Amino acid sequence: MSHDIHKYAFFLGCIAPNRYPGIEAAAIRTGKKLDIELVPLKGASCCPAPGAFGSIDLNVWYAMAARNLILAEQMNMDIALICNGCYKSIWEVNHKLKHNDELRDSVNEVLKEVDMEYKGTSNVYHLAELYYNDEVCGLNKLRDSVTTPLSGVKVACHYGCHLLKPAKDREFAGGAIGDSEHPMWFEELVDALGAEAVEYRNKMQCCGAGGGVRGYDIAHSLDITNEKLTNMTAAGADAIADTCPFCQLQFDRGQFEIGQKFGVEWHVPVLHYCEMLGLAQGMSPVELGLDLHQTSCKPFLDKLKGGQ
Amino acid sequence: MTSAKAYKDAALAARLSDRVYRPAEDSDPSFTAEVEKIGGTAAHLCFQCGTCTGSCPSAPRSSYRIRTFMRRANLGMKDVCLNDPDLWLCTTCYTCSDRCPRDLIPTDVIMAMRNMAAKQGIVPKNFLATVNFIYNTGHGVPNNDANRVARVKLGLEPEPETTCKYPEFLPAIRKILEAYGTKQLADKVLSEGQ
Amino acid sequence: MVYTGKNAAAAEAPEEPRIGVFICHCGTNIAGSIDVPAVRDYAATIPHVVVAQNYAYMCSTPGQNMIKDAIAEHHLTGVVVAACTPRLHEPTFRTATANGGLNPFRFEMANIRDQGSWVHMHDWDGGTAKAKDAIRIAVAKATKLEDLYPMSVPVEHRALVVGAGIGGIQASMDLAAAGIETYLIEKQPTIGGRMSQLDKTFPTLDCSQCILSPKMAEAGRTPGIKLYTLAEIENVEGYIGNFDVTIRRHARGVLTPNEAAAKGIIGGGCTGCGDCSNVCPVVKPNEWEFNMAPRKAIYICHAQVVPLIYTIDFDACVKCGLCITACGTKKAIDLEMQDELFTIKVGTVILATGYEAFPIEQKKEWGYKLYDNVITSLEFERLICASGPTIGHLVRPSDGETPQSVGFVLCAGSRDNTGIGKPYCSRFCCMYSLKHAHQVIEKIPGCRAYIFYMDIRSFGKAYEEFYYRVQNEGAKFIRGRVAQIQELPNKNLIVVAEDTLLGNQVQIEVDLVVLAAAIQPTAETEIVRRQFGVSCSGDKWLLEAHPKLNPCGTTTAGVYLAGVCQGPKDIPDTVAQAEGAASAASIPIHSGHVELEPYYAQCMQNLCAGCGMCTRLCPYSALSMTVVDGRTVMEVTAAKCKGCGTCGGFCPGGAIKMQHFTSPQILAQIDAFFLGGEQ
Ligand SMILES: Cc1cc2nc3c(=O)[nH]c(=O)nc-3n(C[C@H](O)[C@H](O)[C@H](O)COP(=O)(O)OP(=O)(O)OC[C@H]3O[C@@H](n4cnc5c(N)ncnc54)[C@H](O)[C@@H]3O)c2cc1C
Ligand code: SF4
Ligand code: SF4
Ligand code: SF4
Ligand code: SF4
Repeated sequence: MSHDIHKYAFFLGCIAPNRYPGIEAAAIRTGKKLDIELVPLKGASCCPAPGAFGSIDLNVWYAMAARNLILAEQMNMDIALICNGCYKSIWEVNHKLKHNDELRDSVNEVLKEVDMEYKGTSNVYHLAELYYNDEVCGLNKLRDSVTTPLSGVKVACHYGCHLLKPAKDREFAGGAIGDSEHPMWFEELVDALGAEAVEYRNKMQCCGAGGGVRGYDIAHSLDITNEKLTNMTAAGADAIADTCPFCQLQFDRGQFEIGQKFGVEWHVPVLHYCEMLGLAQGMSPVELGLDLHQTSCKPFLDKLKGGQ
Repeated sequence: MTSAKAYKDAALAARLSDRVYRPAEDSDPSFTAEVEKIGGTAAHLCFQCGTCTGSCPSAPRSSYRIRTFMRRANLGMKDVCLNDPDLWLCTTCYTCSDRCPRDLIPTDVIMAMRNMAAKQGIVPKNFLATVNFIYNTGHGVPNNDANRVARVKLGLEPEPETTCKYPEFLPAIRKILEAYGTKQLADKVLSEGQ
Repeated sequence: MVYTGKNAAAAEAPEEPRIGVFICHCGTNIAGSIDVPAVRDYAATIPHVVVAQNYAYMCSTPGQNMIKDAIAEHHLTGVVVAACTPRLHEPTFRTATANGGLNPFRFEMANIRDQGSWVHMHDWDGGTAKAKDAIRIAVAKATKLEDLYPMSVPVEHRALVVGAGIGGIQASMDLAAAGIETYLIEKQPTIGGRMSQLDKTFPTLDCSQCILSPKMAEAGRTPGIKLYTLAEIENVEGYIGNFDVTIRRHARGVLTPNEAAAKGIIGGGCTGCGDCSNVCPVVKPNEWEFNMAPRKAIYICHAQVVPLIYTIDFDACVKCGLCITACGTKKAIDLEMQDELFTIKVGTVILATGYEAFPIEQKKEWGYKLYDNVITSLEFERLICASGPTIGHLVRPSDGETPQSVGFVLCAGSRDNTGIGKPYCSRFCCMYSLKHAHQVIEKIPGCRAYIFYMDIRSFGKAYEEFYYRVQNEGAKFIRGRVAQIQELPNKNLIVVAEDTLLGNQVQIEVDLVVLAAAIQPTAETEIVRRQFGVSCSGDKWLLEAHPKLNPCGTTTAGVYLAGVCQGPKDIPDTVAQAEGAASAASIPIHSGHVELEPYYAQCMQNLCAGCGMCTRLCPYSALSMTVVDGRTVMEVTAAKCKGCGTCGGFCPGGAIKMQHFTSPQILAQIDAFFLGGEQ
C-alpha cells in the first residue's frame, strides 16, 4: 500500500456541484483519507452532456470536451471525475482525439480561434475506478479508511452505462473493470464499506435517463427506471448505489415522478458511492447533503443505526 | 415509402397508400455512406439478427426498433429515418453496441442520424435548451440560489470552481458554440417554436 | 510428366536464346481488362523473342498444341506463357513444353490474371502496361533457364494418421484395406473422438455409438492398423515418401496383454475387468463426461473404449498400490511407467485432429458457468444419452428436475465478428439443435422447445426435410439472436431476444438453456500443424491445397487433411473427406516413388569456404559439412531441401546455387524490370 499522494484535476460536471453538492464535498473529503488529492479544475464547463450535445453535432461535442481537457493539460494533470456522463465525454473524446489525427486537427482548427490547442497529454479516470485500482487506492486501503461500517444494509449497485459501454472501446487498467455484462467490482467497493451488495436481475440495464430521453419523453424514461427499481427491490435492496449523479437524479427524483405519473410508490434511498464512502468514513448525513435528496435517505440511515 | 394515391376520396387514397419500397424513389445511397462516416461504423454489414433490439431498454416500451433503423440505414431511407420521432428514444446505453455480433455500433448510427436530422432543424427542444444553458452559464444544469445555500452549508463555496466561479471562461465557450453553428441552430429552431 | 529430356537447341549451346511468348485471354478474364493484341505486339519486340502469339484459352488442347508446334517450328529454347498462376497451370504448360521436345523446366509463367487483370479490372492502360512488364521479366528469366531433372525418391509403404475421431478412423481403415500399414495416433486414452460423445446423429437419428462402435472395434483389431492411444507426435523430419516421425507414448500405467507378454508376464496384461478401478480411492470428475460424472484415478472414459485398457491419471494417483493388489496375477499395473519415444518411417500422413468447443463463457451475456442451468450442446448430448451420467434422463443441473421448457441458442459464438467469438459458421449446430429439439420433445412429453436462430442452415441431403419434421413436432422457431439470458431466483432462465419476424422483443422463461457453442481447432492442432509444416487459414483451421480442386491435400507434399481440422463439417462430410484423403495418401505409396521438383540448393564446392554457417540456418536440416579432397565443404541432402533459398541468400562466397532460382536468372529479371517500358 503506497502513501504517495495522487493528485488529479477534479472535473465536476454539472449535476454533482449544482444539484448534489454532497457528492462533491464527499469526494474531496474522503479522498484526503485515501491520499487522493482533488485539485480544482478552474473554468471547466459541462462535459458537455454526451446524449444531448452529441445528438446535435458530434463535432461540437468533441470541441467542447477538448476545451475541458486542455484546462487539465495546462495544469499538467490527469483528470478524475465522478460522473459516468462526464466520463463518456471527457474520457472518450480524449481517447478519440489521441488516436485520430484528422479529428484532432479539425478540433484544433476551431480551438485556435480561442487560443487553445489540444495536445493529448492528460489521462482521464473515474474516481470509482481509482478507488478500485490497487496502484492508487485499492480495496484494502478503502476498507482501512472505514470508521463506521455500513453494516446491516443491502445495496443494489447501479453501474450505469457510460462508464463501461461501449466496452470494446474502453481501456481500464484493471481487467476486472472492463466487463460490461457481469462486472462485480462495484459490489466489491460497496462490500468494502461494510454493506452487503445484492445481485439483481438485469443489473446492467440503463437507468432510463440517457440520450436526452429524460427530457424528450419523461414517461418513457421513467418506465425504464421503474423496471430497474422493481428488479432491485425484488432482491431486497435497501438502497441504490451509483457512480453517476445523472443516474442518481433519475432514481432519486424519478421515484417521485413515477409516483406522480404512474401512481407507483417507491422509497428506495439513492446514494452516490462517494456519499456512501463519506458515511462509512464518519461524515454525517448533513455534511453529505443527504437532506437534499428528493427520495428520503432516512430508511437507509435508520437501518444503518439499527444494524450498529 | 408510403405515399397516398391521387384518388378523389382522401380517406381512401390514404388507406390504399402505396407501401412498396422502390429503391429509385425511396433510397438515397449517399445516406448510408453519410451515416457510416459520421457514426464511424460499417452499418451496411448488419445482418438483421436482432441482438440490438433484444438488448434495447427502449424496445419493450415503445415502437422504437434499433434494428429497423439499421435496416433503413442500409436501404438509404433517409427521410423515414430523420422524421421518425422514435429516433430520439435511444438512451445511448450502448448495450446493443456491446453485443452486436457484427461488431457494429448501432448507437452511433442513431447518433449520426440525429446529427443529420438536427442539421435539417429536426431536433427536440429539450436538446436545444441544453445548448442555451451552456451558452449562458457553461453548464447544462446551472447553479441556483437554493443550491448555493446548500453548498455553503456543506463547507463549499457557493459557486463551484467552474465557469460558475470563473465566468471569464464563457466567451471561449460561446465562440466554440458559434463556430459550429450550434447556438444559431438552437436560436432558429427554438424561435420557430416547433 | 512426359518429355524426352534432351533438347536439340541446348545441345548445340552456347546458342542465342530463342523464346516463344504465348498470351492467354482466359475468355474475358484477361482480355476483358487488358489489351492482349497490344501486349502480344509488344512481346514480339522483346530481345530474344522469336514468336509471340495469343489465344482464347492457352490451357486448352489447341492452346497447348500451339506451344508444341512453335517449339518445333522456331527451335525455341524457352517458353513463356502469360496467363493465370503457376499454382493452377504450371504443370499443364510444362507438359506442353515437354511434348514439344524441350526440357519442361525451360518453361516460365507470367501471371497477368490473378496479379494483373483481376486486380486492375478498371484500369485498362495500367493493367496492359503491367502485363508487358510481367512478360518482359519472364522472358528475361526464360533466356537463362537450364535443363533440370526431377529427383525420383522411393516412398515408404506405410502411412500415418494423426487423430482417431471418425475422420481418422475411417482414413486408417481405408488405407489398411488398400494394403498400407497405417499408424493411428490418438492423444486420448480411447479412439472415437467427438462422435463417441454424441447420442443420436441427424438427420436419420441413428445412435451414434451404435454406428461408431463397430468401426472403433474394427480399427482396434485390424492387423494393418497400428493403433497408439495416449500418444502424440513428438518430432517430424523428412519429406514426402520418407517422413521420420517420433511418437511420444504417454505413460499409461497399465500394460496391454501384448506388452505384458513381451515382459514375460504369461497370461498377464489388462483384461478391462475394472477390479482396479473399484478399489481406487481417488475420485475425480470425468472430463469425457464434461465433469458431470465421477471417475477414479485408474479409469476408462466410458464403457465402449477402444482399446479396452485402463489408464492411470498420474496427476491424481496417490500411488497407494491398491489397484496392483486388485489386479492380481494379471500384473497389468506399473505405477512407475515412463513416457516412451519411438520413431517410425512413413510415406504419407493424414491429419485428422478434429475440434473442440469454443469457451463459450467468454460470451458473458449468456451466463455460461455463471448460471447453473445454462449448458452447452455437448453437455446436452451426454445428458440425453442413455449411457451418459444421467442414463439419458435430461435434467437441469441446479436441482436435477426434468425441464419442461428448453431454449436453444444457435450461433452461440459463431458468425461473430467481435473478436471474442468466431467469424465463421460452425456448420453443424443448426442441424444438431434441430435434433436436440426433437429429442426433448420426444423424451419429455409436453416439454416446450424454443429454437432461437438467425438462419437455419439445413443444407445437406434430407436435412431440410428434418427441419419440417421438427416443425411438425411442435418446436417453436424464433428468428432472432439471443441478446441476453437472465437468471431468476428459482434458477429458471429468461431468454431475451428480438423475434425479428414479429418485430418485438421476446422474453421467454425456460428451465434449461442449451448453447450451440462455436467450435475451434484443438489446441494441439497448432503444434501438429507446425511439426508438419502445414499452413492454416486466418481462423486457424488447417489449410487445404486448393479450396475447390484439392480439398484433401495441403501445400506440404505427402500431408493430407481429413475431418473438422480442415474446417467445420458434419459426420457425412468428415467421412467423405477421410476417404478422399486416404485415397490421395495412398497414391504416392502405391506408385512407389515420387518426383521431387529439382529446386534444391547445390554447393559449388570449389567456392565453398567451409564456414558452415549455412548448416545452422537451414530450417530443414538439409545441409551438412563433409570433407572432399582434404577440404571441408558443405553438402546438400537434396531430398530434404525445400528450396527456400535461406542458405543461398546468405552464403558470403556465393557458393550456393539455388536451382531454377539462380543469381543470374534473378538478376536478369530485376534488370528487365528496371529497363522498363517499350524497347
Ligand atoms: C453437440 C454436437 C452434436 C453433433 N451432432 C452431430 C450429428 O448428429 N450428426 C453429424 O453428422 N455430426 C454431428 N456433430 C459433428 C461431429 O461431431 C463431427 O462432424 C465429427 O466428430 C468430426 O470428426 P473428426 O474426426 O473430424 O474430429 P473429432 O471427432 O474431433 O476427432 C479428432 C480426434 O483427434 C484427436 N486429436 C486431436 N489432436 C491430436 C493430436 N495432436 N494428436 C493425436 N490425436 C489428436 C482427438 O483427441 C480426437 O479423438 C455434432 C457436433 C456437436 C458439437
Ligand atoms: S445486432 Fe448488429 S448485426 Fe444484429 S441486427 Fe443489430 S446492428 Fe444488425
Ligand atoms: S444504445 Fe440505444 S438502441 Fe442501443 S440498446 Fe441502448 S437504447 Fe437501445
Ligand atoms: S484390474 Fe488389471 S486387468 Fe482389470 S482393468 Fe484394472 S488393470 Fe486391467
Ligand atoms: S450451423 Fe447454424 S447455428 Fe451453427 S453457426 Fe452456422 S448458422 Fe449458426
